Amino acid sequence: MDQAVRSALGSACEELRDATEADAVDGVVPTVVARPGSTEQVAEVLKAAAAHGVAVVPRGRGTKLSWGRPPARADLVLDVSAMDRVLDHAAGDLIVEAQAGARLGDVQAAVAEGNQRLGVDETVPGASVGGTVVAGTSGPGRLALGTMRDLMIGVTVVRADGVVAKAGGRVVKNVAGYDLGKLVHGSYGTLAVVTEAVFRLHPLPAARRFLTVEVDDPGHAHRLAQAVLHSHVVPGALEIDQPAHGSARLTVLLEGIAAGVAGRTETAAALLGGSDGGHADVAVTEEPPTGWGRYPWQDSGTGAADAGATALKATFAISALADVLQAARSAPAPVDVRGSAGVGVVYAALPPGTDPADAAATVDRLRTVCTGHGGSLVVLDAPRAVKDAVDTWGPIPALDLMRRVKDQFDPDHRLAPGRFVGGI
Amino acid sequence: MSGTHGTPTTAGPTPASVPPQDTPATGEAGARPEAIEAIAETARRLLPEDGVITDRARLRTYECDGLAHYKVTPALVVMPETAEQLAAVVRACAEQHVPFVARGSGTGLSGGALPRADGVLVVTSRMRAIREVRPDDQRAVVEPGVINLDVTRAATPHGYYYAPDPSSQQICSIGGNVAENSGGAHCLKYGFTTTHVTGAELVTPDGDVVQLGGTAPDSPGYDLLGAVVGSEGTLGVVTAATVRLVRSPEEVRTVLAGFASTDHAGAATSAIIAAGIVPAAIEMMDALAIEAAEAAVHCNYPAGAGAVLVIELDGAAVEVEHEFGEVERLCRDNEAFEIRVATDPAERALIWKGRKSAFAAVGRISPDYIVQDGVIPRTALPEVLRAIADLSESSGVRVANVFHAGDGNLHPLVLFDDAVEGAGKAAEEVSGAILDLCIGHGGSITGEHGVGIDKAAYMPKMFSDEDLDTMQLVRCAFDPDGISNPGKVFPTPRLCGEVPGRHKGAHPLQEAGLAEVF
Amino acid sequence: MTDRTVDSPAVPAADLVDLGMPSPHGAFDEHHPPDAALIGDCVHCGFCLPTCPTYALWGEEMDSPRGRIYLMKEGLEGEPMSDSMVQHFDRCLGCMACVTACPSGVQYDKLIEATRNQVERHHERTKPDKALRSLIFALFPHRKRLEVLRGPLRGVQRLGLDRLLRRTGLLERVAPQLAAMESLAPRLGRREAVPPRVPAQGQQRAVVGMLTGCVQGAFFPGVNAATARVLSAEGCEVIVPESQGCCGALSAHNGREPEAQDYARRLIESFEATGVEYVVVNAAGCGSTMKEYADLLRDDPHYADRAQAFADKVRDVSEILAELGPQATRHPLPMSVAYHDACHLAHAQGVRAQPRQLLRDVPGLELREIAEGELCCGSAGIYNILNPGPARELGDRKAANIVATGADLLVTANPGCLMQVASAIERSGHPMGMAHTVELLDASIRGMSVDDLTTTRNTR
Repeated sequence: MDQAVRSALGSACEELRDATEADAVDGVVPTVVARPGSTEQVAEVLKAAAAHGVAVVPRGRGTKLSWGRPPARADLVLDVSAMDRVLDHAAGDLIVEAQAGARLGDVQAAVAEGNQRLGVDETVPGASVGGTVVAGTSGPGRLALGTMRDLMIGVTVVRADGVVAKAGGRVVKNVAGYDLGKLVHGSYGTLAVVTEAVFRLHPLPAARRFLTVEVDDPGHAHRLAQAVLHSHVVPGALEIDQPAHGSARLTVLLEGIAAGVAGRTETAAALLGGSDGGHADVAVTEEPPTGWGRYPWQDSGTGAADAGATALKATFAISALADVLQAARSAPAPVDVRGSAGVGVVYAALPPGTDPADAAATVDRLRTVCTGHGGSLVVLDAPRAVKDAVDTWGPIPALDLMRRVKDQFDPDHRLAPGRFVGGI
Repeated sequence: MSGTHGTPTTAGPTPASVPPQDTPATGEAGARPEAIEAIAETARRLLPEDGVITDRARLRTYECDGLAHYKVTPALVVMPETAEQLAAVVRACAEQHVPFVARGSGTGLSGGALPRADGVLVVTSRMRAIREVRPDDQRAVVEPGVINLDVTRAATPHGYYYAPDPSSQQICSIGGNVAENSGGAHCLKYGFTTTHVTGAELVTPDGDVVQLGGTAPDSPGYDLLGAVVGSEGTLGVVTAATVRLVRSPEEVRTVLAGFASTDHAGAATSAIIAAGIVPAAIEMMDALAIEAAEAAVHCNYPAGAGAVLVIELDGAAVEVEHEFGEVERLCRDNEAFEIRVATDPAERALIWKGRKSAFAAVGRISPDYIVQDGVIPRTALPEVLRAIADLSESSGVRVANVFHAGDGNLHPLVLFDDAVEGAGKAAEEVSGAILDLCIGHGGSITGEHGVGIDKAAYMPKMFSDEDLDTMQLVRCAFDPDGISNPGKVFPTPRLCGEVPGRHKGAHPLQEAGLAEVF
Repeated sequence: MTDRTVDSPAVPAADLVDLGMPSPHGAFDEHHPPDAALIGDCVHCGFCLPTCPTYALWGEEMDSPRGRIYLMKEGLEGEPMSDSMVQHFDRCLGCMACVTACPSGVQYDKLIEATRNQVERHHERTKPDKALRSLIFALFPHRKRLEVLRGPLRGVQRLGLDRLLRRTGLLERVAPQLAAMESLAPRLGRREAVPPRVPAQGQQRAVVGMLTGCVQGAFFPGVNAATARVLSAEGCEVIVPESQGCCGALSAHNGREPEAQDYARRLIESFEATGVEYVVVNAAGCGSTMKEYADLLRDDPHYADRAQAFADKVRDVSEILAELGPQATRHPLPMSVAYHDACHLAHAQGVRAQPRQLLRDVPGLELREIAEGELCCGSAGIYNILNPGPARELGDRKAANIVATGADLLVTANPGCLMQVASAIERSGHPMGMAHTVELLDASIRGMSVDDLTTTRNTR
């Protein structure tokens, strides 16, 4: 990177430094790291980058930088962690506005003061709200409250050419214009840089209970899950946790007012307790079971790959739960599965040291089952050897249209090039 | 609508805004008869004879949707019965560079399905198969012409329903709902159409059929489905949608509370939300709206009420029971003078009938009216309602208020008599001022009716040029030739620049100085 | 505020001039064209669409109330009365479900009737169409002529020739409309005469006149007899003027205005002479027209007031019975009954609750609702003869919904519906009993058995 470029970038924001190994994006070490303090500075940085053909990888808290494919180019890491403020919590309107670099945990703490919550789980410790949006992560609570896709009602982005644009707004109900928020959700930073967002909030529940039961086999898990879904217990979450070894368990979260939760706990326990009528085997707790709301892999703080794990995301029609669990059980590699049985989205982990060929065969097997049931299987993260051996994203319908969208937003392919589907 | 005129000049609600004259939005520039005939020929080869409409009397019955003030006679109407037929027609349009507009039941309130004089109207009302109902997956797959309420009717025997419930749910189609990202009273708790569509089969503006999303959520890749839902037909035509089915609640409690004023009703709403209760719906109607509904459907709302709230609670029985107690208390605390609870489905239906027929019912108390659809942060409700009352008083224009109080979505109905000189203009001014109020309070110009042709001119008040330009990047990706429902949503079309292999010389709009290449 | 109407450039807008009055070159003449003010009441919301039988069938705007109103508006604005326009008006069943559904209170009934009168005056029909219409109107409004048909019809039915003919499909191919007419002919029961005066039993509560009707009288004489018995049992003295003829409903619903007016005048005269307090009708189509006599004769200075006075006395039999309240003892009829709303009772007269209440008052009787109840069965006067295709589709749809109730007996209050539904249910292969509301009440009051009812007029 020549000095002219560097000084252009440097004058665009208050903080520009040389990158280190620690700034690597899935093994690709950038040249410099810019740390702008405002949307305007992000725009200036991106304008400078555009003028000089600089490839940019946006970064929030860097907790998922090894997710997806390694970038084809990464000259500049655009670090938004300095933009970490909760801008406005309008409790009466049940909304919060935050900068992209704000930690999800900090936002939760801020809105909790008003007895409210942002309805998305912190599945990756320390993640920023921007990163949570752009990587599209979610946890158990999505059964009742959805994901960032549903919760983000307004967004400010900076385009690859440095133009600042907003979509949505500060009201939950709004159909004016295209919903750009949906497009950037899960886009891995390849479309635009998110700098601020407005989220809808929900009241914090007064009471909650976790009902956990061991399941005999995938078929049993499926039957119980269907029984809960078809019942009137209104679960806040319905999670399956099937380790590679040992028995699996199903957990139902019930939230709400104390009396209601108590009543529904009775009903749900009866459903889970099986045909014998007793529910002795149903553990009812106020605190979540271990691993609740966390992905099933070890997380190093910078992604699963750094800890050696292979991280998968499987989606499928809800009724295919047994097939997916069974496929995981009989896969060549040992597979820990954890996720939302009530939604048809689960995560799977292959242990560190898994032979790439076994990993690839496991991915294929699970992918066949998932795509056969209206879903998909994505390799979120994996050691380089595994990534080289697998198809990260699997089949992508409408890929041509996605390329056209990318071409419009980032015609020079400078935003996180190569990290996303089809080499986008 | 004015009875005093010898010939009706206006049918239906009038628009919220006056778009700039001479916009290319309606395609007045002229149809190319040979291109239209070529498309008709393609359609005749594929469709039954009565599915291709070319005679003027018939064409004219399609010249407006639910916002009848805007009228454009389409050059051709086709009524495909399958996705393949529809795709073939769109492909023919693309080949001929002829614009097309999709229309479902024609109930939209923003002129989103206003035809083009130089284009083809693709009517999906004959694509009305419910392909699948899968309660175990909580999904149904439906064609675009399926009526919203029919999805619920198909799911009900399995204990499920389709949650988005626009007031017109008995007739509006899923295709239109997807295009407009329709809302409804129960969206407060359950979200909008976009939350409830997990997959769609889309005919792109070049006539390709692509699958977006699917049965499962979180399809890898860009969330094109999220962009398509609510894009008002500008990104293509959805020929099938996979929709979420929601478990029917164990208990539903519908409460009707009468208040002396909207201030009291608004305060009660705030108190309910502040108590951490998320009702399935909180709807408010003011005295004038109550009068209209009463005249139309004899809903028997509390006499003398300055405002009523319709509050619906649903969920597990024990919770609903508790929340009902809270809601009743909070209503009384805010001086509700009468609280009624529906004790059976018939009473519930009657309470809702008053609310859901309110728009059309206003026709009973005023010869003409404008339906507005602004949104404000809910806490601004009292202030904005007072401002609307002031506007009404100072202008002498009556305004009836019907709205989704829970999420701040206002539907002021601005009443006037077009037979009175200047009344229409005064009403439009009040209507516009209400939108300005919404924007001024950080709200939106449309909560559920869409931008369509009616509010395109208002978009720059809410969004910057950069915002609109960025949105149109999506348009350019899907529809570089700008033939899918052109003239809607955006006040100025964006020309998509040179796309490899698509060079066609300067766009006529560019030549005419009506648009520029960004 | 003016319209921003933009016409297709292929047809210059110049020839469509808003004159603020019916155009001399448009579809309509100046004698009561569809009222522009009534047309203006339509806000184009579309709430009528799902209840419209033809929209349900074809999903076309022009074949919906909203679209037909639009066509009328076009006609007023100068659009000529083209064949296509007439086709869409003709296809309207006149069921008036849209009137019930309309939140804006559009009086589509008045609009379509005015339009039909105009169509009959200005539209040249094809020869076969004309011939068929002549045949229909030479036959149906004349009970005596219909009765002449009874003999041969019973003979044919007894010999099974009708079934034979239907199996060959010959008539269907040669003349679908005649085939439709044939298939509708009901199984004829025995003739039951109603005396000109039936005294009230118990305490007399009213003196009522009774319309015997054309089709009702000829094909369903048992319904008239039952009506007289029930009214009498409920304390009504029943007067049945022998001079009475057709009420003119079929003519009025088909644009034959002068003919309808003649029938109306004669019927008014027949009942005026009797001095009854009410005129009771057991055929929904007749009742709805008689309640509209004031409108039909509004231009006749000699009859306008008399028509109003007459119309005010008209009651459907279920209305008067509900109004009076039960007096005679109801005996149990342990059975399930599906009640089918005749359009001209439910939509045109708004009579829905009364027949249901009367049925619920019968001990042991379980009332079941029919899905898509607001949708017409396709009978619609003579519609099923003029438009056998769509009528048959609607009939089959109705039959499927009726059969799905699993009820023992179908009850409705219109001879047209009975014939149409009977023939559709026969096609469905799930035969079930049928009765008019008063026949069921009659059976209950007289203590008849369930079997008596379900076998008296079973479908074929």
